Amino acid sequence: MDLVRRARPEAVLALPGAVQRSAGVRIGGTDGVAVPRSAASGAVRADLDEVFRREYPRVVGVAARVLGSRDSAEDVAQDVFLSFGRSSVPAGEARGWLSVAAAHTALNLLRSGRRRASREKSAAAADDVVAPDVADAVVTLEERRRVRAALARLPRRQAVALVLRHSGLSYADVAAALDLSPGSVGTTVRRAESALREELNRHASSD
Amino acid sequence: MRHPTEGVLRRLVDEPAGVSDADRQHVADCPVCLTGLAAAREDAMVVGAALHTDGAADVDPAAAWQRLSTALPARAAAPTAPRRRSGLLRRPAAAALAFAVVLSGAGVAAANDWLPIFRTEQVAPLEVSPDDLVALPDLTAYGDVELTGDGGPHSVPDAAAARDETGLEVPEVADLPRGVDGEPVYQVVGELSGVFTFSAEKAAAASGEPLPPLPAGLDGSQVRLTAGPGVAAVWSQTSGMPTLVVGRAVAPSASSSGVPFETVRDFLLSLPGLPEDVAAQLRTYTADGSTLPVPVPADLVETSQAEVDDLPATVLESRDQALAAVVWVDDGVVTLVGGALGTDEVLGIAEDLG
Repeated sequence: MDLVRRARPEAVLALPGAVQRSAGVRIGGTDGVAVPRSAASGAVRADLDEVFRREYPRVVGVAARVLGSRDSAEDVAQDVFLSFGRSSVPAGEARGWLSVAAAHTALNLLRSGRRRASREKSAAAADDVVAPDVADAVVTLEERRRVRAALARLPRRQAVALVLRHSGLSYADVAAALDLSPGSVGTTVRRAESALREELNRHASSD
Repeated sequence: MRHPTEGVLRRLVDEPAGVSDADRQHVADCPVCLTGLAAAREDAMVVGAALHTDGAADVDPAAAWQRLSTALPARAAAPTAPRRRSGLLRRPAAAALAFAVVLSGAGVAAANDWLPIFRTEQVAPLEVSPDDLVALPDLTAYGDVELTGDGGPHSVPDAAAARDETGLEVPEVADLPRGVDGEPVYQVVGELSGVFTFSAEKAAAASGEPLPPLPAGLDGSQVRLTAGPGVAAVWSQTSGMPTLVVGRAVAPSASSSGVPFETVRDFLLSLPGLPEDVAAQLRTYTADGSTLPVPVPADLVETSQAEVDDLPATVLESRDQALAAVVWVDDGVVTLVGGALGTDEVLGIAEDLG
């Protein structure tokens, strides 16, 4: 049992500048509200630049896995770090907090379809010109779109756990970030992958 | 014993160190679980590839910081200049990757999911699945695999002891790069080998459909995969995270009884349903050990070619540029230099090895 609940990243969704809070989604504690530390004075936490330089690529990576576009992912990262800078999340929990926040914000964006059309276009163009790599050999661009659409429909906890694990967070990190037991992370991720794979197969067989 | 849950099978795919010995043993011996494991592995691979975004790792944190700074309401400190990579920004998880590459060089033949060597503490915090970094494909669905050899890497007091135990000259680093100091810890691992016996029955079950015609003599023929011994010198921060690893090992090789190894390999590659990651590993494997079997996860590591002492070398760099390594093979001996350094630094060390 937690005696002290830490601020949970879902609060990011409620802050100005971030995308709208999604109804009924609750990852983590029941009282997960990040209190802006010095909102009145507008000050930001002293360790922001250090945390930023350490975690920025990962936060972009989390959002990019959801959105499929680096530009959109960097926009999300800006929002997330802005919120983090105003929060009092303990430094030791920064990675998990930022990753969960990035996943939520990106999933909301994906679901609300607020990605700018120009961004989508440029991302698609970029996809077309890059040299084939391992990923390209396995799935097509169209399949990636389908997977992301299916990702937006997954139960939120499954989607976040999946994205965090594929972004390199360990099972222990994912468990801590989502208040899951380490043993259930594998089950959650497996179910998400199974659902996405079914989505791919369903389309493949109906083609 | 009841079957482990699907969550346990999933964790075996990319964090086997987190799975209990009992569950590993069960899975190793249980056709039902092995089928489940293969399915979990394939789903994870396909979904991982689908979520991959090209260019996502090529971010410019300095520019992004400028953008954030202008959006912040107040800022006491000026933005700091980007720090040198070998400074304190080293990411422990990434640094551990170098060590895993060394282990894979030393322990390739023993690199099945449940093998003890990959349960070492050094590999546990990996961001990258050890499966991705080791070369012995998981062929348990296509026959019997019997592993023999060393119980895993262990420390020895000094370079002389490492040489005595492995018969390998331990590489000496003349000038340590900035940010790396102190004395290294020497680790050694003995020779490891695995014998794979092809089974038409198992292969048919794994494929889920009738097999293509078998080359004569294939059923029951054996392939022996051998690697090691190996030695690694590991410099660490006071926190215990490795900053520089210099490793050397007898390069892995394959030999066979009955039909040539290439026949076995090519037939396996022709089978429907062979997981792509297993196929990728198989393709890197050659009978004479001349190809370096380091399949790397493309979404985390970039590879390029270079030369060390006029020999072709493979440079690995994590996409976040936190880690770099260079690997080359000289006369059947593979050497790796890696750490929380830049590619220029690891190449410099590699050229100057004593």
